[in-house]
Amino acid sequence: MADFSEQSYRQPFPFLDIDPTMESLTQFAELNPQSFILDNSAFNFQTFFPLSINDSLFSNQASQGETMSGFIHNSNQSSVSAQPIFSAKTEVEEISNKRKALDILESSSGNSSSSSPQVSETGIKRRNNSGRGKRAKSNEKEMEKPKEVVHVRARRGQATDSHSLAERVRRGKINERLRCLQDIVPGCYKTMGMALMLDEIINYVQSLQNQVEFLSMKLTAASTYYDFNSESDAMERMQRGKAEEAKELERLMREGYVGIGGVACFHSSSTYGPL
Amino acid sequence: MDSQHLNPSSLKSRFTARFLRALIKINAQKPISSSSPREIFQRYRRIKVAADKSMAYSVRSRRTWSRATLWKLRSQSRRRLASSGRRSSIKTRTTTTTTITTTSTNHRAAIVEKTSHEKENKEDHVGLAVQAEELRELVPGGESMDLCNLLDETAHYIKCLTTQVQVMKKIANLYSLE
Repeated sequence: MADFSEQSYRQPFPFLDIDPTMESLTQFAELNPQSFILDNSAFNFQTFFPLSINDSLFSNQASQGETMSGFIHNSNQSSVSAQPIFSAKTEVEEISNKRKALDILESSSGNSSSSSPQVSETGIKRRNNSGRGKRAKSNEKEMEKPKEVVHVRARRGQATDSHSLAERVRRGKINERLRCLQDIVPGCYKTMGMALMLDEIINYVQSLQNQVEFLSMKLTAASTYYDFNSESDAMERMQRGKAEEAKELERLMREGYVGIGGVACFHSSSTYGPL
Repeated sequence: MDSQHLNPSSLKSRFTARFLRALIKINAQKPISSSSPREIFQRYRRIKVAADKSMAYSVRSRRTWSRATLWKLRSQSRRRLASSGRRSSIKTRTTTTTTITTTSTNHRAAIVEKTSHEKENKEDHVGLAVQAEELRELVPGGESMDLCNLLDETAHYIKCLTTQVQVMKKIANLYSLE
C-alpha cells in the first residue's frame, strides 16, 4: 500500500510540476515502464517539449544524449507517443527552418540503437565548437536563445569552411558600422534594410556637400558686398552675438590681422578688452 | 559672455581658425569693387577650396578622405600654376569645372542605368554593390576601399561636413548682421 501511495504521489509530480529537465522525465519513465503511463507522459511531453528545449537541451549535453535516447527508446514502444514528439520537434525546426537537424533527429529516432552515438556526437561537436575562439561567442549566443539550437547544428557544417566564417565576420562588421551611421544620419529607421539605409546616407552626404557649396557662394556674395564704412557697427554686433566665431574673429583681429572688410581695425578692437 | 568655452584642440575650433585665416587672406587679396561674374566666380571657387582645404588640414592625414582631398587640391593648384597667364588659368579652371560636372553627370547617368539593369544581376552576399559604388563616388578617396572601411570613412566624413556647414553658417550669419 505504501508503494502504491508512493507511486500515486510520484505520478502526478512530473505532470503538474513543469520541471523541464529531461532527467526527471527519464527517472519517471524508469519508475513506470508500463505503456499506459508512457502514453500519459507522451501527452504531457507534448507540452513539456517546448519548455525542455528551452532549458535542458543545452545544460547537460552528454546526459541529454542519453536521456533523449532513453526517451526515444521508450517512445518507440508506443507509436502514438512517437508522433507528437516528432510534431513538437518539427514545429521547432520549422520555426528555425533547418532541415539538416530534422534529418538528424528523424534518423536518430528511427534507429534507436544509433541514436545515442549520434546525439553524443552532436554533444562532442558542440563542445569542440565552443573551443574555437570566434565561434564560441556565437555558440553562447545561440545557447541563450533556445529556438536557435537548430541554428548551431546547421551552422557547424558551415563553420568548418573558413570562407563562410570570414564572410560572417565581415557581415557583422558591416552591420555594426551601419548601425553607427544610423545614429548619425537623420531619417534612418531601424526597420529599414541595408539598401534603404545606404540610400539615405548617400542622400545625406550629397545634401551636405550641396550645403557647403551654397554657403561658400553666400560667403562670396557677402564678402563682395561688404561695406567698409560700417566696420565699427559690425564689431559691436559681433560682440553682442553669442557666436564663438565672433570671439575667434576678435582674437584674430587683435593679433593685428586685417579685418574681414579689409581695413585694419585692431586699434578699435583693443578698446573692447578681453571677452 | 564666456559661457561657451571652445575646446582649443577640437575639430571645430581648428577648422574655424584655419578657415577664418584663409577668408581674411582672400578678402585682402581681391579688391572688393570688382563685380564681374568672372571675378565673383573666381572668388567663390577660392572660398570653397579654402573651406575644403582647411577642413582637410584640420584632420591632417589621419583619414583616407582627407588625404585624398588634399592631394586633389594640390594637383589642381599645380595645374593652375603650370598654365601660363591668368586668363588661361581661368579658362582651365572653368573648363576643369565643366569637365568635372559633365563627368559627374555622365557618371550619375551611367549609375542610373547600372542600377536598373544590374540590380537584379549584382547580388552580392550583401547585395549592396550598387550603393557602395555611389558612396565611393561621393566620399573622396573611396575608390580603393572595401565596404567596411568605406562606411567608417563615411561616418567621419559626415561628421566633418556637419561641422563645416555649422561654422560656415555662423560666419555667413555674422556677415548678414550688417
